[in-house]
Amino acid sequence: MNPSPAAEVATAADELTSSSRTWRAFRRNPLGMGSAVLLLALILVALAAPLIAEYPRGYGHEILSPPSAAHWFGTDDVGQDVFAQVVWGTRISMTIGLAAALLAIVIGLLVGVLAAYFRALDTLLGIVIDLFLSLPVLPLMILIAALAGPSVTTLVVVIAIFSWPEVARLVRSAAMAIVPLPYVSAAKVIGGSPWWIMRRHVLPGVAPVVAISVVLTTSRAVLSEAGLSFLGLGDPNTWSWGTILHRAQQSGSLATAWWSTLFPSLAILLLVVATTLVSVAYNDARNPRTR
Amino acid sequence: MRRSLSAALAAGALAALTLSACVPSTPEAGGGGDAERLTIATTTDVVNFNPLVGNSRTDSWVTNLMYPHLTQIDAEGQRIPYLATEWGYNEDGTEATVTIRDDMTWTDGEPVTADDVVFTINAVAEEQFGVVAGLITALESAEAVSDTEVRFNLSRPDGTFLDSVGFWMPIVPEHVFSQAESVQEFANDSDWVSAGPYVLTEADRGQRYVMERVENFPLAPEGTPAVDEVVFQIYPDVNTEVLALRNGEVDVIGNVLPPSTAVSLQDAEGIELAQVPSLGWAHLQYNMEREPLDDVRVRRALAHSVDYEAIREVALQGFAESTGGSTLTPTLTEWYDDSIQEYPYDPAEARRLLEEAGVTDLSLDMIYDQADANISRWAPLVRDSAAEAGITINLQGLERNTYISHADERDFDIYAGSWAVMDNPPANFALAFGTDGFINYANVSDPELDALIQEANEALTVEEALEPTQEAARIIHDQVYDNVLYVETFNIAYSSDWTGFQPVPSELLGIVHPLSLSQVRPAG
Repeated sequence: MNPSPAAEVATAADELTSSSRTWRAFRRNPLGMGSAVLLLALILVALAAPLIAEYPRGYGHEILSPPSAAHWFGTDDVGQDVFAQVVWGTRISMTIGLAAALLAIVIGLLVGVLAAYFRALDTLLGIVIDLFLSLPVLPLMILIAALAGPSVTTLVVVIAIFSWPEVARLVRSAAMAIVPLPYVSAAKVIGGSPWWIMRRHVLPGVAPVVAISVVLTTSRAVLSEAGLSFLGLGDPNTWSWGTILHRAQQSGSLATAWWSTLFPSLAILLLVVATTLVSVAYNDARNPRTR
Repeated sequence: MRRSLSAALAAGALAALTLSACVPSTPEAGGGGDAERLTIATTTDVVNFNPLVGNSRTDSWVTNLMYPHLTQIDAEGQRIPYLATEWGYNEDGTEATVTIRDDMTWTDGEPVTADDVVFTINAVAEEQFGVVAGLITALESAEAVSDTEVRFNLSRPDGTFLDSVGFWMPIVPEHVFSQAESVQEFANDSDWVSAGPYVLTEADRGQRYVMERVENFPLAPEGTPAVDEVVFQIYPDVNTEVLALRNGEVDVIGNVLPPSTAVSLQDAEGIELAQVPSLGWAHLQYNMEREPLDDVRVRRALAHSVDYEAIREVALQGFAESTGGSTLTPTLTEWYDDSIQEYPYDPAEARRLLEEAGVTDLSLDMIYDQADANISRWAPLVRDSAAEAGITINLQGLERNTYISHADERDFDIYAGSWAVMDNPPANFALAFGTDGFINYANVSDPELDALIQEANEALTVEEALEPTQEAARIIHDQVYDNVLYVETFNIAYSSDWTGFQPVPSELLGIVHPLSLSQVRPAG
């Protein structure tokens, strides 16, 4: 830990804003960049699904045929193209993942910042967060999804309900470090309303934590969605990666038609690994010590 | 004197059971086709050991091997003797009589007598529980005329009575079940007494159920089943069951195979498939309490918007037979009416009918059990073919209990499902299409149909009942009170190390029923 090179970098980058410094460090990390490109590609597939493959509907005459030039990922037990299912599944899986993550972030951010700012609320909100974190998540998700009936909205809400506490706890601990800082006290002294202070001073402070949370919560939400859909609690009117797995499992062709499960599983794996690597790389790039 | 003797015998049997429970069980051998053990894979536990209450598949399989029915069915679905040797009605149909065998005994030494039959039916009638209660509404009283003769006095002529009771009601031992205050609440979870080919000796929840051979079972070819032990082994799902069969860990997969699995096993070495038709049918029912489904033109439009061939050939992989859209299926050959023709898949005709009815932008919710592999596979096909006719169908694949409660409350536009066992058309029609029928999901209320169903129920022979029943089926088809899609052909897999199974219709019986398991033996 020789201080002189660090000081050199600091002086050289003085004119640069902190975000462009982060970006520069991020660009130098091949794993992070590769993952980011992969994520962008997945998003592109989700957006351009209609251009890539026809919506999987009806039935085909080649049943359970292995991957070939005509069907890159093979066909399922009613002769539908698995490639088309995976492409269209990307759209729903990522939509549910993002929507659930955003909802969870909004709730988590609100609860986390409130808990950190108003000490009186902290104990109560802390208990609520701990309570939610200690719930058996999967059985409850299954129960609620089963009772509410399968739909995309149900999935988003159910996943968000059980994902916000982790965000809240992260935000709370980050905000706790900001609230006692002199500039926040100064803002209080000059008569800023709590709402204004939270918006103006606390939120920007916790933004990096939130940025990472968005990515990680999305990937967890995609996993949860796949899990619920695999258990048959997905929306039968849409295609998601979990739905494809569910149908493969139900058809009893798991042992013989490996392609019906391999490709959707790979898609899930790629998304989860990519999001994890991106957030790790971002965290490293943002932190001056690991830059 | 007799009482104390039976008590002594029971105590003796108890001691024997306790002793045998102490003997270390033989290591997992399974497979191999030795006469020692036949292992059957299943996916569910026995929920209820009381045969009058139980209703899961494994419940029926296990208890059917212990508690005899009056009759059983053959490959054509016709009644053949089991405990009963003869049965019939008097002239005006108010008395039904049954003669039972005199050579069957319970495993504790007590003979199976007419008293057991009377005790069983009285218990069901008094406590009103289980499937049977709904089938014996005509029963006034039952009496044992002699040790081998039972007379049922009926409050009205009911030609379905003996068929239904014979098929559905297991006979339980009076001397065991009468000890409980309520027969319905009798758990029957230990010290089992059997009059079937096997008796349960060991039950490990989530693991296995071991049944030992009963030495004296008169219906077995040589008076004794050939296999020493039948074991029901629990597996998580059909995929693992298939692996277990391939590996020789099990000899039979009790559950029917999903069609695509059946295809993949068709040419597998060492594995045989028994094919049995369903006794029920898969269907769509349209809720006639809801507009515009009360209009027969709309229901016909919906019937024209289903691609039946695709459902049978693709979703069911050809393991399905058309009934011609009739609720009288080819499985029950004596009732079948081949003059009824399926509504052809014709989106243009469907559009025309909708236009005629003045219905535009028809959008309907269709409920089904998402855990039902076949229906989950064809539900999207129904949706996609209806879309061709401009009809929007929203799939609601529900968790099983939610689905059942929706069906019971008639809370749906379209109900997609299947009846497992419809063994007696007149009786089934009364339940499924009679006004206020218990499973009248479509809310049918048609006086003409009600009259025909009543006539069929009062007829004492199939010949007499045939005409009104077939006329009823024609009305049901014509008015689309039920849209029958197919009768499934079930595939049941077993190891080719075994031979002698007796396949009979329905997944409830298949090849795992007393007659079949008392005749099975190692091949070669």
